[in-house]
Amino acid sequence: MTPSRARATPFSTRDRLTAYLLAAPAGALLVGVALFPILFAAWLSLHRLILILRERRFIGLDNYAYLLHDQRFWTALGNTAYFAVFSVTAELGLGLAIASLLASAAPGQRLLRAAILVPWAIPAAVSGKIWAWLFNPDYGLFTRVLPGSINWLGTPGYAMPAAILVDVWKTVPFVALLIFAALRNIPEDLYRAASLDGASSWRIFRSITLPLLKPTLAVVLVLRTLDAFRVFDAIYVLTAGGPANTTETLAIYTYKTLMDAGDFGYGSTLAIATFLCVLVISIAYLRVLGSEGRA
Amino acid sequence: MIPRRRFLAGLGAFALTATGCQRRRQATEGRPPGPIRLVFQHQPFLGDPAPLRRLFTDFERENEGIVIAAELLPSAPGAVHQYYLTALEGGSQDFDVFIIDVIWVAEFARAGWIAELTSAFPPDVLRRDFLPGAASAVIVGDSTFAMPWYVDVGVFYRRSDRVPQAPRTYGEVVAFAREAMPRQASMRGFLWQALQSESLVCNVYEAIWGHGGTTMLGDRVLLDTPEARGALEYLRALVACGVSPLSVTSMAEEESRRVFQAGDAVFMRNWPYAWAEAESPGSPIRGRVGLSALPTVDGAIGRGALGGFQLALNAHTPAWKVDAAHRFIDHLTSPQANLAIALAYGRNPPRAAVYRDPQLLTGAPAIAGLLPLALLAEPRPVTAYYPMFNGTLAAEFSAAVTGVRSPAEALRRAQAEIDHLMREAP
Repeated sequence: MTPSRARATPFSTRDRLTAYLLAAPAGALLVGVALFPILFAAWLSLHRLILILRERRFIGLDNYAYLLHDQRFWTALGNTAYFAVFSVTAELGLGLAIASLLASAAPGQRLLRAAILVPWAIPAAVSGKIWAWLFNPDYGLFTRVLPGSINWLGTPGYAMPAAILVDVWKTVPFVALLIFAALRNIPEDLYRAASLDGASSWRIFRSITLPLLKPTLAVVLVLRTLDAFRVFDAIYVLTAGGPANTTETLAIYTYKTLMDAGDFGYGSTLAIATFLCVLVISIAYLRVLGSEGRA
Repeated sequence: MIPRRRFLAGLGAFALTATGCQRRRQATEGRPPGPIRLVFQHQPFLGDPAPLRRLFTDFERENEGIVIAAELLPSAPGAVHQYYLTALEGGSQDFDVFIIDVIWVAEFARAGWIAELTSAFPPDVLRRDFLPGAASAVIVGDSTFAMPWYVDVGVFYRRSDRVPQAPRTYGEVVAFAREAMPRQASMRGFLWQALQSESLVCNVYEAIWGHGGTTMLGDRVLLDTPEARGALEYLRALVACGVSPLSVTSMAEEESRRVFQAGDAVFMRNWPYAWAEAESPGSPIRGRVGLSALPTVDGAIGRGALGGFQLALNAHTPAWKVDAAHRFIDHLTSPQANLAIALAYGRNPPRAAVYRDPQLLTGAPAIAGLLPLALLAEPRPVTAYYPMFNGTLAAEFSAAVTGVRSPAEALRRAQAEIDHLMREAP
């Protein structure tokens, strides 16, 4: 025992060194592309830094004090939350339904599986332009097909649901495919046993399918919520935040402050605020889903 | 489009400055052997690119040893502004002469991104030869920072076959439109640009001036006024009462022009370029379009917003290129170039004398006839802060026009935001 332990110690030190060395590139990459930019943005957010004025001055937490009373920020936060809640709910619901359809043995489903990927494969800027034309109040398809004439992208109250529709259309395939993969992993035996016991299909869905899908649904939920909270391209291409800022999300407000106004101090403050929101959501999800996993 | 590589280079350069590596490339390296290569970035004109290209080749023929490399920018001014913000702040030397919007001159000059041109183009010569609006747009203090390339002014279009007499008051716009609309099922009334964007800001300012309002009081940008309330109430009413279709709230210039050109609208507010399009061969409304001054509340001649593009020189262009760049700018802003651009693309000459040129009078009488309107063109608030608050203006004007907020409330919010920005500024 003793000699072997003595031999093991220098060996494991070297092992540990090797492990650190092997992990070092990944660690350096993370520090370089994630940690450093975040810390730097936090540092910038403590400054008044406006490009055109050639001004850079440390002002402590003044930007954050302004943020708390910035109506436009709270509106953007509300818009973002509205978008995230409705788009993620719809995507999960429709994704589950479509995945179930894909899993059932229907004729031509190979083709269906390939076809469903098309919206996901189109870049967001391109699909945004396509939908902008569909919504066009003078020549668009929706104006022709639907009764009444609604200017979807130009009317407050309609523009955000339109943007949600576009995002759902684009993202449901992704969600459906993830769920579909999980569905295929559920052993057939369980279903056979359940039907022998005379369980209804609803009962089977609730007691077998849903619990076994839970880990996948959790992953999808986390991914989609975080994505939705940082939404930019889908909405920017459609409305650029208009009308009357009713579709301005946190990411769009941040972008405009940084890139249109050239205000890097307050823009960084907005970016950090968005980051904190996303962090809180992630931690909340990890708490809830993590504890369920252990139970 | 901006070449992707250059756009990325701009972003990269921006990242370098943002991370504190203030890397200023000095123009110390000497002139390389061979011809001087001037990079000129501009937006494409609608129509045949050949006349513009001919201007470049003429210059190359007259100036041996200089090669012009023209690069196209996107037609979206917002995207171009962001591109220059990052590229110029990063000290990019990828381009030399480039176009800037009237509303960027004060900003870019203050930021030190564009070279002073006073020695080559003295302000008093500019004031003598160019339209007053065009000259004042490029002179900051006593220095010239850009040269006017073409001017734009908001003008009023009508279908002359439906409405023989141009309306002069806002009341007549509504009355004439209501009279002409029922005669054709697809006919809309008055098109303008109410998409939340800079175009909307121009439209609202024109209505403010049309109600007798002003833009600035000393150094303060003035918005919360009875005239501005009147302007927003009038624009909101146009949408609410159906004289302007609901679709105007998602229209920029091209969206409105397409509908007007398809023959589906009585009136349109737009820039002069729409005239050349409307009168082009194959246009369904060719020969049936009238062009006039914007109407006002009391029938006075309406002032259009001053728009248009200027030629500026990158502050980081190496010294050995500057003389060639001056000559190129001079060539592109010469009376001949003014004339060529007006004839080929319907863009208004910034030089006053060109409006009396016989070639323009015969080749594009409509453009020549715009001289009184171009002389009256009014700039949006002239301040280096303008690009910092025009997003707020667009959002609040959009709120008023779409009925989210009352005009009074929208103006109060916009004024508070502008005062906050400009008071804090040193």
